[in-house]
Amino acid sequence: MVTKEEIMKIAILSKLFVGEDEIDKLTEDMSGIISFADTINNAADAESDFDNINELSNVLREDEVVPSLDRDKILENAKDSDEGCFLVKNIMK
Amino acid sequence: MKYELVAGFETHVELATNTKIFCSCTTQFGGEPNTHCCPICIGLPGTLPKLNKRVVEYAIRAGLATNCHIAEISKMDRKNYCYPDLPKAYQISQYDKPLCEHGYIQLSNGRKIRILRIHIEEDAGKLVHRRGDTLVDYNRGGVPLIEIVTEPDFRSVDEAKEYVEKLQLIMRYIGVSDCKMQEGSMRCDVNISVRPEGSEKLGTRTEIKNMNSISFIAKAMEYEYNRQVDLIESGEKVIQETLRYDDVSNTTSSMRGKEDANDYRYFRDPDLVTINVPRERVEEIRAQLPELPEAKKNRYVEELGIPEKDAALLTKYIRIAGFFEETIKGTKNPKTAANFIIGQIFRSVETEAEKEAFDIKVSAEALNELIRLIDEGKIRMNLAKSTLDKMLETGKRASELIDEKDMGGLDESVLDDLCRQAVEGNPKAVADYLAGKEKAVKAMVGFVMKNSRGKADAALAEQKIIGIIKGQ
Repeated sequence: MVTKEEIMKIAILSKLFVGEDEIDKLTEDMSGIISFADTINNAADAESDFDNINELSNVLREDEVVPSLDRDKILENAKDSDEGCFLVKNIMK
Repeated sequence: MKYELVAGFETHVELATNTKIFCSCTTQFGGEPNTHCCPICIGLPGTLPKLNKRVVEYAIRAGLATNCHIAEISKMDRKNYCYPDLPKAYQISQYDKPLCEHGYIQLSNGRKIRILRIHIEEDAGKLVHRRGDTLVDYNRGGVPLIEIVTEPDFRSVDEAKEYVEKLQLIMRYIGVSDCKMQEGSMRCDVNISVRPEGSEKLGTRTEIKNMNSISFIAKAMEYEYNRQVDLIESGEKVIQETLRYDDVSNTTSSMRGKEDANDYRYFRDPDLVTINVPRERVEEIRAQLPELPEAKKNRYVEELGIPEKDAALLTKYIRIAGFFEETIKGTKNPKTAANFIIGQIFRSVETEAEKEAFDIKVSAEALNELIRLIDEGKIRMNLAKSTLDKMLETGKRASELIDEKDMGGLDESVLDDLCRQAVEGNPKAVADYLAGKEKAVKAMVGFVMKNSRGKADAALAEQKIIGIIKGQ
């Protein structure tokens, strides 16, 4: 079971505002999702490796430098930029 | 009550690869902001990371050099946290299947500092905080790191210092990192707690983040130890928190701003496939490891007869150890070479950085030539010493500085003459010597050495001078 406290903690971590009136509904939904995941876990063949479903390994790259992208291109989609840097709201208190 | 310090280390070491861990951008330090970036390392949607082979190899090397077990199967995980230094809002790291586990580094007091794990991960970008906003530079984002995590095995600040020095030296010897703490290519986090001496239970710990000098680490640990002891003594509790050390005020303060809840929601990165490490490859890498600092030091002591303190000095810098080994090739007395390096040559490389670079005017081959002249009895130690000084000054070789006529021993009759002159010309020294001042004879030996241009055997001259005085 998921508790209301856990819902509030997840909300804070997800940076979501959750109103008093939404908590019960969210708790119920989240519990449903988790118990569904438990159902899948129980059904899963213990031998299967879901961690490596494509069964690939060691796809590696040689350590050779390729020129980087032009800085104008890098910053093209930035909301804001200054001095060749991405500019974000102040995050230090 | 007496309190015991308990500490553990997490050390980030930047790997000296050419390219980043998941893309082919350069890892070069510096550069204009955001000029070492591509869609992968700035985390654009739809891009796919591809692991750098050399990162895996270097991490395995680091693991083997610290006595770790190398995993057969490893994988990459996402560590989620939201902060602008990470463009994807997660860092690709390793969680439950790190590449290396269960190693150790042995300290000089015999204690083993256990290494819990070494994993590979990507570095974050650099933030510059201004009034009102923050600039983000992703040049460092995606630079490969290994994180070396120890068990809480440290019981003193001295042990911590020795560990960091040893680790730094090992990483440099095996060539995986330059470990320049001032440039941030090696940074330490320290977990620290205190407990009453004799107690087995661990106290509440705090974590001091991101320290980039050994002296700061020592000061921060001392400060934090005292702070925690004071709290407990005054009946208060240590709060588990992350701290920042300020070297100007020599205090620690709580670090805020980062995600408070320590919930990284790790899960496997589905974009990166399993890493398989065949045992044969591990053995190949092991076979290619160079001689490690500790083994080198022991060999200098046991096989070459170098005093332990000198051996430690010679092996502390890779270039100096290499120079020493070149110098002694084919010579009879490695101690002479060691003394020349530690005595005279060290005077021209005083700072740590100068010793690191070891950029001197004398080549190992030239010093080897000088030592061979001593071995062959062609010149005496006094002349060799003054010649080395000249070599260091001018960059000339011994053969250019020493005249043929200076080579070879001094004719015994010439030595007798010089000793007689020394005694006759120094009546005061003779009187002093006869009055019991044995050191007075040195002045007369000095005269002989000077007038024989260093060719005389000082011990023999002393004998002869005493003989003359007593025979008078």
